[in-house]
Amino acid sequence: MPQQYPHMAVEIGKLKLKNPVMTASGTFGYGEEYAEYVDLNKLGAIVVKGLSLKPRLGNPPPRIIETTGGMLNAVGLQNIGVEEFIEEKLPFLRPYDVPVIANIYGETYEEYRKVARHLNDAKGVQALEINISCPNVKKGGLSFGADAKNAAAVTRRVREETDLPVIVKLTPNVTDIAAIAVAVEKAGADALSLINTLAGMSVDVKTKSACLKNITGGLSGPAIKPVALRMVWQVLQRVSLPVIGIGGILTANDALEFLILGAKAVQVGTANFINPHATMDIIAGLRHYLKLNKIKDINNIIGSFQEGGSSC
Amino acid sequence: MVKAISKQLKGVFIGEIRQNREVQQDHFLMKVVLPASFASPYPGQFVMIKVAGLNEPFLGRPISIYSFRRKKTFCTLELLFRVVGKGTEILAGLIEGSQVEIHGPLGGCFAIYPERENIIFIAGGIGAAPLSLLAEYLCREVCLPKSAMIFYLGAQTKTAVAGLDKLSKLCYRIHVCTDDGTLGEKALVTQVFQKDLKKYAPDKTVIYACGPRAMLKALHKLLSGTRYLCQVSLEERMACGTGACMGCAAAIRDKTGKVSYQRVCSEGPVFDIQQVIWDDK
Ligand SMILES: Cc1cc2nc3c(=O)[nH]c(=O)nc-3n(C[C@H](O)[C@H](O)[C@H](O)COP(=O)(O)OP(=O)(O)OC[C@H]3O[C@@H](n4cnc5c(N)ncnc54)[C@H](O)[C@@H]3O)c2cc1C
Ligand SMILES: Cc1cc2nc3c(=O)[nH]c(=O)nc-3n(C[C@H](O)[C@H](O)[C@H](O)COP(=O)(O)O)c2cc1C
Ligand code: FES
Repeated sequence: MPQQYPHMAVEIGKLKLKNPVMTASGTFGYGEEYAEYVDLNKLGAIVVKGLSLKPRLGNPPPRIIETTGGMLNAVGLQNIGVEEFIEEKLPFLRPYDVPVIANIYGETYEEYRKVARHLNDAKGVQALEINISCPNVKKGGLSFGADAKNAAAVTRRVREETDLPVIVKLTPNVTDIAAIAVAVEKAGADALSLINTLAGMSVDVKTKSACLKNITGGLSGPAIKPVALRMVWQVLQRVSLPVIGIGGILTANDALEFLILGAKAVQVGTANFINPHATMDIIAGLRHYLKLNKIKDINNIIGSFQEGGSSC
Repeated sequence: MVKAISKQLKGVFIGEIRQNREVQQDHFLMKVVLPASFASPYPGQFVMIKVAGLNEPFLGRPISIYSFRRKKTFCTLELLFRVVGKGTEILAGLIEGSQVEIHGPLGGCFAIYPERENIIFIAGGIGAAPLSLLAEYLCREVCLPKSAMIFYLGAQTKTAVAGLDKLSKLCYRIHVCTDDGTLGEKALVTQVFQKDLKKYAPDKTVIYACGPRAMLKALHKLLSGTRYLCQVSLEERMACGTGACMGCAAAIRDKTGKVSYQRVCSEGPVFDIQQVIWDDK
């Protein structure tokens, strides 16, 4: 069979993807929620909703509020727990020809360890993404990701439990994200993904109270894209690990911005909510762009960024 | 490897506005023409609607399906909505010929009990919208006699009573009431219903309700300890409408007695009134 152009496959360490477009954790359920909308086989990878050792109830409503160019969420990591995920959700995903990346979350080092161990032993998970960054939960979450030492310690412990590729997902709610990235690289991460949501809040003028019951929430959507791009750029200058770009990607053009900077892949989050076909539209758009510009391999675009700033 | 589902994948449909009329102060009836591939909705289901191609407002807005007609090559969807904020204000401003993105039909539906003698609807304000589709469905598809259906419609004031013309064609009796007495009886809808409650034998009655949380909560109090079957349609802020974001949580007690947050968009929006935890906010 003749080679099909453009060539869309990318590699993130050991992880081979058909194309660089994955779903972002917490925005695509456990895959099945979107199986009637998109052909899951066509995705680069599926990152499932964050999993903890025990099921989590989550925060009381209201949990979401729209903001200009995005939304705040304070879901509070509601999830079914790692064991139920393996028993109830993974069997649905296994037959698909798409890598499944489990996003994991713990409140203690030991919990991270145990969740990682469970998933390492379950067939059908191709990589782990460690959420050290969720800003919603008062305990854990923020503190691991906000501090280089703790971020490295979590990485090391998960690393010890698994042979699966370990992706560490960074929080933007820090002063120097590149310093965290460096620490996590040294601790044995195989890749980095960034960014998670930005801590934010919104006030209801009528009631003079916070729009979210939790008061603060995580900002996502197009409003955060410039911040995400800046952080990806900063991190790429300090580490040699593959980086996955996340934040406000709605279109193929948005994805290209991250790829040009040097991200090996991207994750699409909030866009799924307003357009359940977003991932497919982005993949088609990337292909179209490559064809139009006679670029045979998407890897030729990755890292094609010209330092020095625009001259126009 | 699982093959792509051969039947058409679900998605977002582009609809064209045929009519968008202010039927009552701040209340709009929007008629949208959709392709024939849009699935026929069941009563209680909703759509997420936003202006086509526009990312502001960013998220779709959940609106119940008020009426639906299928023709050979297209279908028409009617939405009845009240302007309460930015999103609904923009929807209200759309003119004939404008395009909207319609994602749906979404969510579960009301369970029906055609053998029951008394089909009671209790609506507060715009809560009449999903119950109208249900009344229409029971009338047209299930061929229930008009005499079985009794509607209690309450609102704050006369201008907040919407959808009365359609309902009067469907239901045998309509009790209208307003908080300020500008239309119908001056009372809360749950008070009006309470006066009639004795007339309805629990095992021969089913109650459907939709409205402000305070109204549903009062109804719950009224019915607690009784054997009435009552389904309510809940509202919560939504982002995806498909069960993926966990944003639309409502505290629900399941059959084993365990309380958890369920998704209004997918486990709901219709719940048994007894299963909802009413004191969570
Ligand atoms: C399943 C479902 C069906 C619905 N059906 C209808 C319908 O048929 N007709 C209709 O007029 N409305 C309906 N609603 C409510 C409608 O979705 C909201 O009024 C709308 O989203 C408000 O958007 P906005 O931008 O105008 O208001 P905003 O500016 O976002 O908010 C204005 C006010 O409305 C409240 N609000 C916002 N979103 C919601 C929501 N999802 N549910 C309840 N209150 C909300 C806010 O708390 C605030 O007080 C339904 C909601 C759900 C969940
Ligand atoms: C409703 C919601 C839930 C999320 N849940 C998780 C989660 O469980 N774990 C995680 O690592 N990130 C979670 N995220 C963050 C996203 O994966 C992503 O990093 C962020 O939304 C930025 O991308 P976007 O702008 O494309 O949405 C969540 C985001 C949203 C909006
Ligand atoms: S609106 Fe996203 S889960 Fe219900």
